[in-house]
Amino acid sequence: MQAELPHLDPAASQINVEDSAEQIPSAILSLSRMLLTLFIALLMGALVIWISGKNPVEAYRALLQASLGSRTAIANSLLAATPILFTGMAAAIAFRAGIFNVGVEGSLYLGGFAAAWVGFTFTTLPPLLIIPLSLLTAGIVGGVWCYFPAILRSRLQVDELVTTILLNYVAILFTEYLVNGPFLVPGLANAMSPQISESARLLRLLPPSQLNASFLFALLAALFTIYLMTRTKFGYEIRMVGDNPQFARWSGINVVNVIEKVMVYGGIFGGLAGAGQVMGVHYRFIAGFSSGLAFTGITVALLVRNSPLGVLLASLLFGMLRSGSATMEIMTDVPRDLIRVLEATIIFFAAIEFGNLLWRRHREH
Amino acid sequence: MNIDPLTNVLFAALRVMTPLLLAALAGLISQRVNLLNIALEGLMLFGAFFAVVFGAKFNSPWLGLFFSIVFTTLITFIYALSIIELRANLIVAGLAINILAVGLTSYLLVVMFNARGAYSPSDLVSLPHLNLPLLKDIAILGKVFSGHGVLVYVSWILAGLCSVFLYRTPQGIHLRAVGERPEAAETAGINVKGIQYLALLLGGVLCALAGAQLAIGDLTIFNDSMINGRGFIALAAVFFGAGKPGLTTLGCFLFGLFEILQFRLQTSANIPPQLPQMLPYLIVVLTLTAISFQKKFTKRMAG
Amino acid sequence: MKSITKTFPGVIANDKIDLEVAQGSIHALLGENGAGKSTLMKILYGIYTPEEGKIFFNGQEIRVPNPRAAIRLGIGMVHQEFHLVPSLTVSENIALGYELIRNGLVDRKAQRRRIAEIIEHFGFKLPLEKPIAELPVGVQQQVEIIKLLYRKAEILILDEPTSVLTPQEVDNLFGVLQNLREQGKTIIYITHKLREVKKICDFATILRRGRVVGRVRVADVTERELANLMVGEQVIDYIFPRSGQVGEKKLVLERVSAIDDRGILALKEVTFTVNAGEIVGVAGVQGSGQSELVEVISGLIHPAKGKIWLNGKDITRASPRQRREIGLAIIPEKRKEQGLNLNTNVVENVISTRYYKSPFSRWLTLFDRPAEKFAQRIVSEFSITMSSLKSKVENLSGGNQQKVIVGREMIEQPDVLIAAYPTRGLDVSAAQFVRETMIRRRDQGGAILLISADLDELFAVSDRILILYEGQIVGETKPDETSFEKVGLLMTGHFHAS
Repeated sequence: MQAELPHLDPAASQINVEDSAEQIPSAILSLSRMLLTLFIALLMGALVIWISGKNPVEAYRALLQASLGSRTAIANSLLAATPILFTGMAAAIAFRAGIFNVGVEGSLYLGGFAAAWVGFTFTTLPPLLIIPLSLLTAGIVGGVWCYFPAILRSRLQVDELVTTILLNYVAILFTEYLVNGPFLVPGLANAMSPQISESARLLRLLPPSQLNASFLFALLAALFTIYLMTRTKFGYEIRMVGDNPQFARWSGINVVNVIEKVMVYGGIFGGLAGAGQVMGVHYRFIAGFSSGLAFTGITVALLVRNSPLGVLLASLLFGMLRSGSATMEIMTDVPRDLIRVLEATIIFFAAIEFGNLLWRRHREH
Repeated sequence: MNIDPLTNVLFAALRVMTPLLLAALAGLISQRVNLLNIALEGLMLFGAFFAVVFGAKFNSPWLGLFFSIVFTTLITFIYALSIIELRANLIVAGLAINILAVGLTSYLLVVMFNARGAYSPSDLVSLPHLNLPLLKDIAILGKVFSGHGVLVYVSWILAGLCSVFLYRTPQGIHLRAVGERPEAAETAGINVKGIQYLALLLGGVLCALAGAQLAIGDLTIFNDSMINGRGFIALAAVFFGAGKPGLTTLGCFLFGLFEILQFRLQTSANIPPQLPQMLPYLIVVLTLTAISFQKKFTKRMAG
Repeated sequence: MKSITKTFPGVIANDKIDLEVAQGSIHALLGENGAGKSTLMKILYGIYTPEEGKIFFNGQEIRVPNPRAAIRLGIGMVHQEFHLVPSLTVSENIALGYELIRNGLVDRKAQRRRIAEIIEHFGFKLPLEKPIAELPVGVQQQVEIIKLLYRKAEILILDEPTSVLTPQEVDNLFGVLQNLREQGKTIIYITHKLREVKKICDFATILRRGRVVGRVRVADVTERELANLMVGEQVIDYIFPRSGQVGEKKLVLERVSAIDDRGILALKEVTFTVNAGEIVGVAGVQGSGQSELVEVISGLIHPAKGKIWLNGKDITRASPRQRREIGLAIIPEKRKEQGLNLNTNVVENVISTRYYKSPFSRWLTLFDRPAEKFAQRIVSEFSITMSSLKSKVENLSGGNQQKVIVGREMIEQPDVLIAAYPTRGLDVSAAQFVRETMIRRRDQGGAILLISADLDELFAVSDRILILYEGQIVGETKPDETSFEKVGLLMTGHFHAS
């Protein structure tokens, strides 16, 4: 009996116009779909809040206040959005090519650790050298980590979903081992690495918020990804492979190559996301520092149907949600885990949409 | 020669294997109808949560178990509905369930008990342990096989029943047909959707039991990371067992053994815990690779 | 079955078909691929519902809404791909859905007994407790037949039963069928293989293009007459002038063997050449290896044995892109799955083979305007109708979609073109346009390999015709020196020279 997964196609979602609605510009249609999904998620959240005896309106108001209410609040939202920008782009690129890369979380951890390692090892280097070095190392480590499941998929058709999920655990455990073992700092409660040197730390942009230069890097990376997807050869290849891999093969596109590249790209971005957290926020590697950042990235990508511009905007939105939720919890007693519930609802609806699109397309052939 | 250490290890391995086995059986049944159940992890978490919550509420582990089954199956039903009727993408929906589990249980934990991360109701007793009447007096066997929690024995019985179900009952045969050749099942008049629902719902019940074993089987505790990837290790066991209950059970036992050995090693030798913990995941990846290799190789050989 | 009509989008599969089958006979349903044989039987078996027509069974009108109903009426069908569950044993498969139950469990003993009765009664010999996956195809087919008998079928429909059998297994099958006939069962035998019809069938109804073109008693006709009925009179409305001069070798295949995705040898030592300035047509029934031939020349699969040369260069292991660079263009068999990206517009579809070259891109960037101009050129030269360059290709008609592919592949005068069923599903004018384009290219010195299911087309356009049968080239001829009948015979496995 084979360990075969039903064929997945997370790219089967790029803005599809219904036959009957041909007059409506496709952009408006997809925007309204996203807003609808978001709305339903918020409704679900409100239901959950209400069931637990709290006031949804109050909760959402607090959320809004905490995420946009002041300069610091906005800064914090941007801060929270930073890693999501990276992981969202990572997920979107892979999904657009029809690849379910769930391994960005692992790259996040390994890349983050790599950046920390550079930071606390090469303490004598000046900022101009150590910051690029840290970022580079983090990116490379993250990319290489995703390369393994990539070749398993591209050359052996081993489904990347299961392998990447499992490898995440390996990465998380491995970095946990590193900070509990070889790089243990004795006397600290939480397992964490030594602090990185002063020069390795990223500039704070708007104190007292922890918003730092990594946000600018993330923005750059996001803009680069938008450019990549819309104006480059590679972007074209990704889209063709995602829409119809057979067509791509028959036209001479090297599909194996494309698959590997998108997964490594995702890994690089994951590594950079981790590096951003280490170098800009914590200044050290803390085991378990990512509260599902890569999964939020996946949620974002699914919500906006892999549009890079959409990822940019949605990441900011989710940054808002994440940062606002902590304060919301303090003010209204609504636990911040509500955000997870919202995420789950969005993913759930995305699942239904994908599945139906795939099925309809399958039927037409 | 004192073989207490050995019997202790075996006893512990059998105990630890239980949630894996139950989840693996759930995964196995889903796999046999060709629906990869990624949501095992989330469903187990739900199972654990409901077991503790309702157990504490009624101050009875049995009622906790009962309601855990009820509510986890309810959630599984929604999952199944979305996949079978609404044609949701199987994997994405599973991902949603997993994230929902983490979020909702943490949320409710705070709201209901003002507890963040972990909750242990002080006055809730765990499910009973059974000292099997005759067996407990037999020298070695008694130490290994007697004295386990109820669900441990239940899991063995279920593993056996699973085998009977799949190979001897008409529903089981139909189930295998649906998974292997849906066209054949359809023309044979089998209700494919019904079988798919059956498979997923049975899986839900089993996941509830698995979660309950972890939550109220020995100590009574819930914490949001208590499943810790067992849902995926269970999948690993399913792949290892290639869909056969016997082999899958063996896989679960081996993984359980691994877990115990790793605990022991931690205290006695100086191997950091994380390294052996990584092994099951790596083994699965290797297994999947080997399977794909073999497929490619046999194709090239043919003709 | 009286006046059965069944249409699918764009095609009339069955056009007022009358079929009469006598009890206790083996009745052949004969015709080329696409003639409508399978469709007709699927109607009888309840998989499809006809738009018009009635079915009478033993004088009574019946309705067959689904296969379960057909089974209840005593009609059973053995499909080409067996509906057997690999891990279940023979007896479990036979009893699937109709199990005997005792105490909630399957009563294996009683089932085995009943099956053994049937097996003996009809003279089979089967290992009941082996899983199907371990048994050879011939035995599997017997299991399928017994399945029907277990469900008390009186009419057995066999869809191309010998397509997967070895010659010995075929003989076995025929013995079984004769046995069944003696027991009073009625068998409808769908096939395109004339020799078998002559060997085992009593009567034959011949279909062509959805219509009945003949009803015969098999003993009264020769294979030649059957072949004639199957492929029809030679009706060519237009013959293109044959090639002026033939140049150097452009595409050479030397003893190429290839394995299909089921692990079966689909091409066996195929050897041929296509020269500049000629169109070589490939005729053959579906499943003779055409798909694998296209794939192996295009580079999608590597041959297990043999070599391929393109423009003098050995491309046996070259990638698809490398082959295109050397001068290959491909019109693939499946327009929607292989030839187009339906989800995007014409511009992106036509640059798929050259986007990485100047002027379409430089370094990383892809330029819009050159691509649009290119697309515009193709649209006007190939008269493609569409609302705008930016509209999605999936909204175009089938004919226009095909023109997009043809335009993309032919606009830059490729040295060698492989065209697989290029006019399938096109209306007359679009099809003619495609043929004219190919002729024009040939006259400019192009080498074209044309694979087609339409003998008219092959005769009209080709300078030479190769006949492919079960993965081998069994004949080569010139259209002016042969006839439909002769080609038809070769296509259907009749090798002996006229």
